[in-house]
Amino acid sequence: MNTVSVQNVSMRFGDFTAVNDVSFTVAKGEFVTLLGPSGCGKTTLLNMVSGFLQPSSGKIEIGGNDVTFVPPERRDTAMCFQSYALFPHLSVAENLQFGLKQKKMLPADRKRRLDDVAEKLDLVAQLDKLPNQLSGGQQQRVALGRALTMRPSVVLFDEPLSNLDAKLRESVRLEIRKIQADYNLAAIYVTHDQGEALAMSDRILIMRSGQIEQSGTPTDIYNFPKSSFVADFIGNANILDATIIKEESRNSWLVSTEIGEFLVKSDTAPVAKQLKICWRPENAQHGGAELNSIEARVTHRAFQGNYTDLFIEINGVAQRVQWREGRLEDLTNLSMHIRPEDFTFLEAIT
Amino acid sequence: MKQWLKIGLLLAPGLGLILIFIGSVVYIAIAQSFGYYNLSGESGFSLEHWSKMFDRLSYTRAIGYSLYIGVASAFLAVAFAYPLAIWLRRPFAGSLFISAVLKAPLLVHGLVAAFLYINIISYNGILNQLMQALGFWDGPRRLQNDNGAIGVLILQTWKNMPFALLLLAGAVQAIGDDLLDAAADLGAGPFDRFRRIIAPLAVSATQAALVIIFVGALADFSFQVIAGPVNKQSLSQLMVFFKGYGRWNDAAVIAVTLMGLGITGSGILALFSRFVMRGGRLS
Repeated sequence: MNTVSVQNVSMRFGDFTAVNDVSFTVAKGEFVTLLGPSGCGKTTLLNMVSGFLQPSSGKIEIGGNDVTFVPPERRDTAMCFQSYALFPHLSVAENLQFGLKQKKMLPADRKRRLDDVAEKLDLVAQLDKLPNQLSGGQQQRVALGRALTMRPSVVLFDEPLSNLDAKLRESVRLEIRKIQADYNLAAIYVTHDQGEALAMSDRILIMRSGQIEQSGTPTDIYNFPKSSFVADFIGNANILDATIIKEESRNSWLVSTEIGEFLVKSDTAPVAKQLKICWRPENAQHGGAELNSIEARVTHRAFQGNYTDLFIEINGVAQRVQWREGRLEDLTNLSMHIRPEDFTFLEAIT
Repeated sequence: MKQWLKIGLLLAPGLGLILIFIGSVVYIAIAQSFGYYNLSGESGFSLEHWSKMFDRLSYTRAIGYSLYIGVASAFLAVAFAYPLAIWLRRPFAGSLFISAVLKAPLLVHGLVAAFLYINIISYNGILNQLMQALGFWDGPRRLQNDNGAIGVLILQTWKNMPFALLLLAGAVQAIGDDLLDAAADLGAGPFDRFRRIIAPLAVSATQAALVIIFVGALADFSFQVIAGPVNKQSLSQLMVFFKGYGRWNDAAVIAVTLMGLGITGSGILALFSRFVMRGGRLS
């Protein structure tokens, strides 16, 4: 049974529609990420699930109960805020027990929950401190702990890692995922960081202009984007206008683009004769080949540590590749090829 | 040494003012209460003025009455200001206008307000006429100078509530939405959000409002003279009474009493409010 069920939910602020007819479900133990650029409606959607906003239309169920108009204090959810929202006048222990006191839980039971969470999140030594005496990572863990002590059906995350530095972000996201799995919680996670979404999620819902553009597992979304927006938003993508010339064989099409003719292999048929196709920069292969060979001129390069971003020009069209080996300082021309299966058909050109 | 001299010189303008203008007044009052600076007799150390004053019923009654007015005014003003501060926390259409109107009493002098109030509640005033016209009262009632000093409390609250609102609104507005959302998310309803988040975080503003209003109301003269009960005197009224008869040393005893009550009462109020607003603890 689904823990969360969002059914045809819309949210309008005057003439502006922030969320438009969105539906999705989250199962117990599932980690679902709402991913999208700023202003796409993901936080509004999360606020409707948590109860801070009431949808203009649609229905939200948690644990099979209709909670559409139930206030946040009476919902079985717990939120991790972007700013952590730790109560500055309360110690870590008091922050962690805030919700339990609201529930009027017995002191012995409260202590058990507190000890359990504090140990799991490595906060035992910090229990008597005030939030302003903690590092960013520790504050984040307290915010997570405060939500987890409630043992909610659903835990909600509103960009909880955006205030942490890159290194800490990586370690905390692993911790969050592990703890969510340990407690077998349904989780809805809002972020605009595609790396975070790919690394943490069981399922990603890509949002754009208040609607879900595509949903699927991280690998599906990355490898089989359905639109140029998704292809470009998740990872890097070289997107080209293409025309189908002919179907070469089963699941193979010959296409013409601004940078040449290519053979494209795809399990899904193109949606139109004229459409967009994409290929990932890391899929460029060294040297020429019998199929899909490209000669390019290198215009810029950016060393990224374990690979180098090469900005290239093919027939005057700017593209990007990621090159992993060799010294590239003097590289001016590039010979490469793209395997037919590394192209993806996207939406039709309208 | 040079460093100390520099610090002393830098502090001199501020400290000098405090020491000369406030310190000298306090010194004279205390000295006069102990018999010094006697303008109509022998000067010299004496506890006579204090001991005689303690024997006077009017003095102890005035202490009780002034404390009642001071404490009740402070709590009433803060109690009325709090819900308004929370209501006006988030801007909405018209909130700026409402806020400005609520602060209008700050611009009206206390004496003017007292006279306006007397006009409203006088025997043939608007309130009496209205109540009769509505059929609630058969005839006019005497509302002025009531024995319970309700009129004084109304005036004190009316005059001081905007000041409390000014202080509390700043403190309440500084509390982020996310903190209140987090509390709601953890099961706190509106009253618990006030009790467990807003009150503890706005405790300093509450203390400041209570203490400042208490000190002002404790030493009230103008509201008491115009709208206060005729059978009770406030400490400042009593002080002016003694001064009027040239009994400066007795007046000084009352002045020192007022200062002592002001300091002690403020301390108790500050501790009490912190204790209550922080959910039963002082830290």
